[in-house]
Amino acid sequence: MNPANSTPVRVVVLGGGTAGWMSAASLARLLGGLVQVELVESEDIGIVGVGEATLPHIRSFVERLGIDEAALMKATHATYKLGIDFRDFGKIGESYIHPFGSSGEDVAGVGFHHYWLELRRQGLADPIGAYSLAVEAALANRFRPPAQDASLASTYGYAYQFDATLFGPFMREFGLGIGVKRTEGKVVEVRQDPESGDVTTLVLEDGREVSGDLFIDCSGFRSILLGQTLGEEWEDWASWLPCDRAAAMPCDHVTEEIEPYTRAIARPAGWQWRIPLQHRIGNGYVFSSAFMSEDEACEFLLRNVEGTPRADPRLLRFRAGRRRHSWSRNVIAVGLASGFLEPLESTSIYLAQMAITYLIELFPLGGQIDARDREEFNRLVDMEYDRVRDFLILHYHATTRDDSGFWNHVRTMQVPDTLAGKLELWRETGRIEKYSDGLFYDASWIAVYLGQGVVPQRYDARVAIPDPARIARAMGSLQEAIRSEVAAMPGHREYLTATRERLAEPL
Amino acid sequence: MTGPRELPRRIVVAGDGQLGALAAIALRKSLPGTEVLVIGTPPDPAALADRSPTALPFTNRLHDRLGIEEDRLVREAGASHRLVVRYLGWGGAGHEGVAPYGAVIDPKLKTGFARAWGGGPRNASTEAPPGSLAEVLAGEGWFQPPSGEPNSPLADVDYALRWNVPAYRDLLVREARRLGVQHVRGAIGAAKPNNQGGIAAVALEGVGTFEADLFVDCTGPAATLLSQLPGAVREDWGAALPIRALLFGKPGEPRLDLEDRVAISSVGWLSELSGRDGHQAMVAMVETTTQDAAYAALPAEPGNAVPLDPGCATAPWIGNVVALGDAAAHFEPLAWLNLDLAHRQLALLLELLPGRVPDRRERDEFNRRAGLMASRARDLLSAHYAAPGAAHLGSLARSGELQLGLDQYRRRGRLPFFEEAPLMVQETSALFRALGHPAGEGVLAQAADPREGDAARAGFAAKVQAALAAAPSYGAWLRQVLQS
Repeated sequence: MNPANSTPVRVVVLGGGTAGWMSAASLARLLGGLVQVELVESEDIGIVGVGEATLPHIRSFVERLGIDEAALMKATHATYKLGIDFRDFGKIGESYIHPFGSSGEDVAGVGFHHYWLELRRQGLADPIGAYSLAVEAALANRFRPPAQDASLASTYGYAYQFDATLFGPFMREFGLGIGVKRTEGKVVEVRQDPESGDVTTLVLEDGREVSGDLFIDCSGFRSILLGQTLGEEWEDWASWLPCDRAAAMPCDHVTEEIEPYTRAIARPAGWQWRIPLQHRIGNGYVFSSAFMSEDEACEFLLRNVEGTPRADPRLLRFRAGRRRHSWSRNVIAVGLASGFLEPLESTSIYLAQMAITYLIELFPLGGQIDARDREEFNRLVDMEYDRVRDFLILHYHATTRDDSGFWNHVRTMQVPDTLAGKLELWRETGRIEKYSDGLFYDASWIAVYLGQGVVPQRYDARVAIPDPARIARAMGSLQEAIRSEVAAMPGHREYLTATRERLAEPL
Repeated sequence: MTGPRELPRRIVVAGDGQLGALAAIALRKSLPGTEVLVIGTPPDPAALADRSPTALPFTNRLHDRLGIEEDRLVREAGASHRLVVRYLGWGGAGHEGVAPYGAVIDPKLKTGFARAWGGGPRNASTEAPPGSLAEVLAGEGWFQPPSGEPNSPLADVDYALRWNVPAYRDLLVREARRLGVQHVRGAIGAAKPNNQGGIAAVALEGVGTFEADLFVDCTGPAATLLSQLPGAVREDWGAALPIRALLFGKPGEPRLDLEDRVAISSVGWLSELSGRDGHQAMVAMVETTTQDAAYAALPAEPGNAVPLDPGCATAPWIGNVVALGDAAAHFEPLAWLNLDLAHRQLALLLELLPGRVPDRRERDEFNRRAGLMASRARDLLSAHYAAPGAAHLGSLARSGELQLGLDQYRRRGRLPFFEEAPLMVQETSALFRALGHPAGEGVLAQAADPREGDAARAGFAAKVQAALAAAPSYGAWLRQVLQS
C-alpha cells in the first residue's frame, strides 16, 4: 500500500490531558501521512495531571518523537530522578531506595543478593542499597547521566521529576506543531453505527460534529467512550489497592540542594509523595477514604509538609482497576480511561506510553480493524497492568505495621495468587519468578523485598563455598568503586543548572 | 532461622555422552565440594542431543562460562564456524533463504542498566534490515571470530560452532576428569525411591548401588531415571511435528563452509552440515517415507537410522531427578535446536541449583521455565512446517502462540516477544524470511520516510566494507590458528 495514494485514517482523540496529547503527538509523528489526528478537548474540564514523577522509559518516548530533552525539562520544570525513597513502608523508621538500577553483580552465576544475605547473616554487610551506584548517588544528591557501555557507570538510568500539569501542554505545543488538529468543545453525545456499534461521531455542545474512523479515549476516569458508551466492564482492584483519594499541594523548597529522587512516605491511611522540581516541591497524600476522611487527610498533609505551601490542597478521587479490555470496537482507551494504578511507583505515564507504543505497533492498516490485532493489544496491555499491580500490592502487603486500620488491612489481606506464588518462592528460596517483558524485573523485586524486610528463609547453597572474608573483600571493593564514582559526580543542582537551556523561568 | 541451603553431597549424572559430560563439568564447577559421579550408560543412537555435531550461539556462552575455550575446540575437537543456515525450497519450489545468527542491537540496550531494567517493549516490528553482514561474509568465505571489542566491524556477527562429536566428547571427558568428576559404567536397573517422590539410589547391574542427593538424567529418550518416577508424564508432540525417523549419512569429504543447509523434499527434509572432518548429511522422514526413498534422497553413504516419536516431559524435574536433553524433550534436529535446548535447560538448572533437598517451589519455577523453553522450541520447528513449501508434509497442530506469531508476521511483519524463546525476535524474523513466510508490511514501515531506507542501505554498505577489510579468509584464519 502506498500511503500517498490512500486516504488517511481519521483518528479522533478525546481528552486533552497528558495521555491525550501524548497519544495525538505520537500518532501524528510516527504515522505521518497515514493518519489525520484531531483532538477534542474542553477548557472547562480540568485535567488530573497525574504522574509528577516518571520512569526511565519516558526517555525513549521523548527521543523517538524527536523532542529536545532540554526543552522538555525547561517547559516542565524538570529535575533528574534516580529512584524512589520509600520510608516507613516495611516498618516505621526504616527506609530504602528503589533505584533505577541494580545492586551488585552476579558472582559465578549466583545472584548478588544471595551473597549479600549470607554476609548480612554474619554481620558483615551494609544495607543492599550501599552496593548500588544509583542509590549512593541519590543519597549524596549527585547526578550525571550514565555511561553508554558495560561499566559500573552504566548500571543506572534516570527519569524526570516534573510538573505533570505542564507536560500535557508541552505535548500539546509539540502536537500542534506537527499537524494535530485541536478542537475545543464539550462532548454532549456520542453516536454509534447502529449495526456495528462502532463509535462514528462526537457531537459537541454547540452542535458541531467530529467524525472519525478510530477513537482514542483519553477522557480520564470518566472513560466516556470505552466505559460510558461501550459499557466495557470494570475490573476492580480496590480490595488490594484501597487508596482512592489524593490531596496534592505544592510547597517552596526548603533546602539548597535538590534531591535527585522522589520520596514516598508511608502514612496512617496511605502514603505521601514528595517530588522536588526546579522551583518547588510537589507534595501529596494518597489515602484510602475508608480509613480517613478527606478533611482529615488535607489537614494531615498541611501538618506534614516542609516549606511554605504555594496553594491549598487539591483533591483527586480515583479507584484502582482496569477496564476488562482497553480496546473495544473502534475505541482504544489510553491512560485513566483504560485503568488506574496509584502513583506509588510512578507508572501512570509509563502505562499511557506503553499503550501508545502497542497501538502504533498494531495500528489498523488502512483503518480496517482486525479483531486479532485488538486481541493482541489487549493481551499486552493486560500483561503490563497485571505485573505492575502485583508489584504495587507488594509494597503494602510486605509490612509489619499494625499501627492503623489501613495497615492492618493491607498486611492481612489475601493477595492475588500470582503475587502469593512469587512471595512464597522468594521467602523459601530467595529466587525471583522470572520474566523479561513488561515492567519491573528481578532488580526491582529484590530492592522492594529486602527494603521492606521480606528476608528469605533459605537462599542459594553456593554462597557457602567461597571464604566469607574473600566475598566481604570483593563487596568492599565494589563499595569503594561506587564511592569514587559518586565522588566524581557533580551535585544534582550543579549539573542541572550547568545548562541554561534546561532551566525554567524563575516563578 | 535463615541461612543458605545445605550443599548437596553427591550428584549423579546418568549418561556420559557429550551432554552428560558437560552437565558434570558444569555441576562440578558450581559445587567444587560436591562429589559428581557420571554413570556411563550404553549409548542410545536416538539420543539426538548427544549425537548433535552442532548447537546454537547460546552454547558458546555456556562454554565460555565453564572455561571451555573456543580455541581448544578448534584445535582439539575439529570445531568450525557457521554464520548462516541456508533454507532451500521451504518458501516453495526454487525458493532459497538465508537465516543468520545475531541481532543488531542498539548500544543503549547493552548497558548495565538495560540488562537490569530491559529496553522497553520487546515486541518489535521486524522490518527486514537492509542486509545481513553474516550472509555477505558467508558468501565470500571471509571470517574470523570477533575479538570482543564492542566497536569492531565484526561485533554484531554471531555464530554457531560445529564439531567432531567423539573428539568433543573426549575433550569434555578429559576436562571432567581434571576437575575430579568420577565415572562408572553400567546399565541402570531399578532405582530405589526416597520418601520425597524422588530417588535415593540407583543400582548398576554388577557394579553397585549409588546414592545421591540429586540425579541428572541425560540418558536420552528412554529417560532411564525420570521414567521410573510415578509422576513422570510425557506430552506427545506427534500432532505438531511430522518426522518419524532419521537416516544419518556416513561423514563425507571435509568441507569448509560458513553456511549449512536444510532442504525440504518430498520425503521430509535433508540437512547438510559442513565440517573439517567431513560433511554430514541426514534425511528426516515423515511417516509415509519408504526406506528406498530415504536412501535415494541421502547424498552420502547411509549410516544408521533411528525412529522418532517426538514429545517432552511435562515436568522434567520430579523429586530430586532433573531430566536434560532427549530425556526432557525429544524431537527432530531441525535448526539444530536439540543441544541448544539441552544447554539452556542446563543453564537454568545452574541458575536454580537446589540444595541437598530440592525445594518444591524452585522445582516448580524450573519446570515452568523449562516448559516454556521446550514449547517455544517446538513452535520454532512448527514454524518451519508452516512454511509455504512444507504444505505437503501434512496438516499439523500449531500452538496458540505460534498461530499468533504467524498471523502477526503475515499481516503486519511483526513478531511478538515470547518468554524463553530459543531465538531473539530479530533472529526469528530472519528465519521466517528464510523460510519464505510471506511478510506483511507494518504500519511503521508504511509511514517511514524512504530516505531512511536509503540511509540504512548506505550505512550497511559501509559496514560490509569495514567487515571485509577486517576479516581474513576463513581458511587462512583456520590454518593460522592450527599452526600457531
